[in-house]
Amino acid sequence: MGKSRKTVQIVILAAVLIIGGYAIGSTLFASDSGGALKAGSEPPPFTLADLNGGTKALSDYQGKAVVVNFWGTFCPPCVKEMPEFERQYAKWKDQGLVILAINLSEDTLTVNNFVRQFDLNYPILRDVNRKTERSYGLRSYPTTFFIGPDGKIMEITVGGMTEQEIDDRIERLLQL
Amino acid sequence: MLVVENTKCECGHQNSVGTVLCESCGKPLLPSEAEGADTPLEMRYDGVARRSQKSNPNVIDRVWNFFSSVKIAIYLIVITFLTSMLGTIYPQENTFVNNFEPAVYYEETYGLPGKIYYMLGLSHTYESWWFIGLLVMIGTSLVICSLDRVLPLYRALSKQQIRKHPQFIHRQKTVYKQTVEGDPEQWAEQFGAQLKRKGYRIHRDGSSLLAEKNRFSRWGPYINHIGLILFLLAILARSLPGFQMDSYITIPDGDTVQISGTNYYVKNEKFIVEFYKDDELPETLKGTARAKLFKTQAVLYECTSNCNDPLKQPELTEVKQHDIIVNDPLKYKGLKLYQFDFDMTPRLNAVHPMLIDKQTGKSYGPFDLPMKDSAPKHELGPFTLELYANFMEFALDSNGKPTTLSRDPVAPAFIFTVKGPGLAAEGEPYMYFPMQKDKVKFAQDVINGALAEKIEIKVEGMENVEFSEASTYLNVRMDRALPYVWIGAVFSMVGLLMGSYWQHRRIWLRIDDGDLSLGAHTNKNWYGMRSDVAGALKKIGITVDPKALDNGGNNA
Amino acid sequence: MSLVEFSSDVFLVAFFLYCFAFMFYVIAVAGKKWSNRKPADHERRWGKIAFITSSLGLAAHLAFFFTRWAGSGQIPTSNMYEFMTFLGMSIMMAYTIIHAIYRKPLLGMFALPLTVIIVSYAAVFPSDVQPLIPALTSNWLKIHVTTAALGEAFFAVGFAAGLMYLLRVVDFKQTSKEARRSQFWVEFTLYSLVLIVGFIIAVFGFRGAGYEAHFIQEKSEIDIKGIEQTTTEKVAYALPPIVKPYNSQTVEMDSFLGMEKPLLEAPYWMNGVNAGRKLNTVVWSVIAGSILYGLLRLAFRKRLGAVIHPAMEGIDPEDLDEISYRAIAIGFPIFTLGALIFAMIWAEKAWGRFWGWDPKEVWALITWLYYSAYLHFRLSRGWQGLRSSWLAVIGFVIVLFTLIGVNLIIAGLHSYSGA
Repeated sequence: MGKSRKTVQIVILAAVLIIGGYAIGSTLFASDSGGALKAGSEPPPFTLADLNGGTKALSDYQGKAVVVNFWGTFCPPCVKEMPEFERQYAKWKDQGLVILAINLSEDTLTVNNFVRQFDLNYPILRDVNRKTERSYGLRSYPTTFFIGPDGKIMEITVGGMTEQEIDDRIERLLQL
Repeated sequence: MLVVENTKCECGHQNSVGTVLCESCGKPLLPSEAEGADTPLEMRYDGVARRSQKSNPNVIDRVWNFFSSVKIAIYLIVITFLTSMLGTIYPQENTFVNNFEPAVYYEETYGLPGKIYYMLGLSHTYESWWFIGLLVMIGTSLVICSLDRVLPLYRALSKQQIRKHPQFIHRQKTVYKQTVEGDPEQWAEQFGAQLKRKGYRIHRDGSSLLAEKNRFSRWGPYINHIGLILFLLAILARSLPGFQMDSYITIPDGDTVQISGTNYYVKNEKFIVEFYKDDELPETLKGTARAKLFKTQAVLYECTSNCNDPLKQPELTEVKQHDIIVNDPLKYKGLKLYQFDFDMTPRLNAVHPMLIDKQTGKSYGPFDLPMKDSAPKHELGPFTLELYANFMEFALDSNGKPTTLSRDPVAPAFIFTVKGPGLAAEGEPYMYFPMQKDKVKFAQDVINGALAEKIEIKVEGMENVEFSEASTYLNVRMDRALPYVWIGAVFSMVGLLMGSYWQHRRIWLRIDDGDLSLGAHTNKNWYGMRSDVAGALKKIGITVDPKALDNGGNNA
Repeated sequence: MSLVEFSSDVFLVAFFLYCFAFMFYVIAVAGKKWSNRKPADHERRWGKIAFITSSLGLAAHLAFFFTRWAGSGQIPTSNMYEFMTFLGMSIMMAYTIIHAIYRKPLLGMFALPLTVIIVSYAAVFPSDVQPLIPALTSNWLKIHVTTAALGEAFFAVGFAAGLMYLLRVVDFKQTSKEARRSQFWVEFTLYSLVLIVGFIIAVFGFRGAGYEAHFIQEKSEIDIKGIEQTTTEKVAYALPPIVKPYNSQTVEMDSFLGMEKPLLEAPYWMNGVNAGRKLNTVVWSVIAGSILYGLLRLAFRKRLGAVIHPAMEGIDPEDLDEISYRAIAIGFPIFTLGALIFAMIWAEKAWGRFWGWDPKEVWALITWLYYSAYLHFRLSRGWQGLRSSWLAVIGFVIVLFTLIGVNLIIAGLHSYSGA
């Protein structure tokens, strides 16, 4: 009896340690992330239509440096960035850079009219009903996610950037 | 078994270390319960050794002993309710839904105390590590305290000896002594028969008697504790991924929106809000807007194909239709949609305007012009309208070029290329503002110039305007742990009722040489215990004031 | 006459019956000495009369409840007036049950004034039938509120018996340090009860005189779009404004004893106009209650505890201890069911979460934890008599805070019933 009692004690205390540790531990980690994306987390997957009748998925670019930019025609800093991304794309694409510019659920005519003004070579993707935008937890525009070849987010930039800032970040991204 | 003290009772029974009263005959064993004293005995757990009382504790034993102490359990309860109070001083962070910066909010709203409150982490008291830690410790204490007591108690109650030591009987809290004449066995039998009518179970051993009732109520507290543990575990399970979902969706009238993270879509057919009329309200409330009803006529769809193909429209199958009102959510396979809030800002969805040829006076149409994703070309009699551009919230940028300020149809505008009789062959641009206020604000007729003299695009009557009057905000919930929460609550409640409304009552009796010794014990309600004994005595001809049976001591 | 009007009349009858029953209990207990009959007979006789009167009162109260229910089409527990009258009725039911078990008339001497105070407190609030807002149209809500109130009523009876125990055993003649401390706190408890009475008297006094004062408060906020929005809040005072709301203007104000404008202003952190009004009410309660207490002291020329103490002689303190404990032990499961389990079921139905750490929920949990600590102290630590009675008294203070204080001070989802 003495032995079985000891076993019972150890089993119960171990269970308490695991369950209680989990309970307390999860409060400690949940308190600072709150479920939102941050540097180091994995970007949510998406499959979206492009302007040429095809689809592009984030998973198509595994192992590559990917810049995911959310933009809209109604957002002047986004508009300003578009040609800058184009120049950066031309500069770095040989080294494997991918830029995916996701439009913020605007209608077809608006997007087409806008894109016609520029000569953009990187894919423009169409979000529908703000689905992708929501899964990325966007709060303001533009927001750009720099995703490393390891599939993890290196940096999230909220708001417009200068071309120099884009350049620096891409350079770092490609060195990962 | 290692025996350090001599724990063998004079009746020959070998007790474990820490036993207060001999498990067999009930004779007091501890030196502190010295013979001769006549104060009532400590009857808790029937005087058996609790599991945790061991002679040479190691680390595990010490931890075990800590949690097995009721004193510690009470301290934990007290600390928990005291710290809970702190969390009610200011609103907690989780009461704010979005766009909320706690670091700023508390200081701005409550000044320095608010800042300190936030810095101490009291703005999320109930999610803090120490509060959860307290709950974990209470849970541990529940398990260990119960386990340590219920097993020995079970053993003690399942092998009770009928003939108890005189000291045990005389030192109960309810005692009666008397000399009886006649055959002791017959007396005991008579008395037992009376107790039996009161629902006692009678065990006899010659002239000794043990009457017992409602033993099951002793298990009440332990069942209650099991319920509480289940409840705590269920709550903990909710923090596991996939056990819980809690999100909010906004749906304008007529729209269908996907519930993110699921394969379900919800359509808001219409949101309705009703207020009480003045004649339904008492004097003091007349003229106030008192809500009577919030209702969303909702349809739930499940996507059956093309769910993840962005090039195709998903195919939806209706699975449930329900009018969601407060207190009556839409429920489907564990998914629940609650009425949460609403927004009465209307949104223009589509217009069905006519094209009027001012030269002939003829009109063509109406044609269908949704604010978003309109058809690129409209053929209207001899005229053709090609959509050149559209704007959701029309404005002119710093260069004077048309632009949109947002993606919501707040001030929509369309630019058509119009071809037709009397117009340039390559077409002429015509700007159209569906809303009258924008038409005036941006001077539509001035922009269109000469063309405005020739044609006009115009909506006739409100029946040609489609708009969403309101948007409903729904709260999407899924909680897989919920059934376990209720099971825990039911266990807890059943245990509580068993332990509170029934009492375990026992009466021991022995007659030695015509001297009757009667002792009675209950875990609660001594008043009832005494009246049981006095009642039974009265039935066999002995009248005694119930209060006189009281031997003093505690009223536990 | 409509059913609702009829119910108001019956309510008044119930109120007076309670008052008479209280007087009869006082006669039963205090009259033992001056009557020329045998004390035991006297007590039995008058105790019986008092119990019959209080039962008639309860019957009238039940008639009020059901006729109002029938007349208004909704269970009368949905605003503060209705809830407090229901609580008063529950206390009478709990008292009747405990009386049926123990048959101690003396308990009525404390349970009845408690009911009278709570019922008159209810009358402070507007008594008209208010149609339900959507969140309150739920059967679970009805079950939750009524069961919780019944549980709390048993705690109230436990409080009454606990207070009696204290008045019985605390000796007001002793001068030792410990005795003085007990005397002080017993007296403080009585003083607090007098404050509530003072509050009720103040409200009815000024209401009878038709006193009114109005204030407005303008608040400007900058919304998300950067546009300044000005909101104006209005508040009517029924008591002369010693304290006016923070940053508010007087619209009109009756003068009171030469007081033409508010004396003080509420501090900045008291948000909203109602906070100012509530603070003013608290100030008035203290003033009116203290005056009343002073008058009582002048009349008796000794502490109130010392006045009541002799009347308690001859009662077995152990009985009081047992009654107090028993009432709480009976109330605890009812409270658990009503205030926690049914509340969780309703919360699940209404908001999709059974627990949200809303202040009212937290305080219900605090009450529950408090009484479970009480039970454990008693069962396992042997806290009885004096300690246990103090716990019963403090426990009821927590119950009252949960019911009233949370609404007055902390606003939450339950603020619909706010004072």
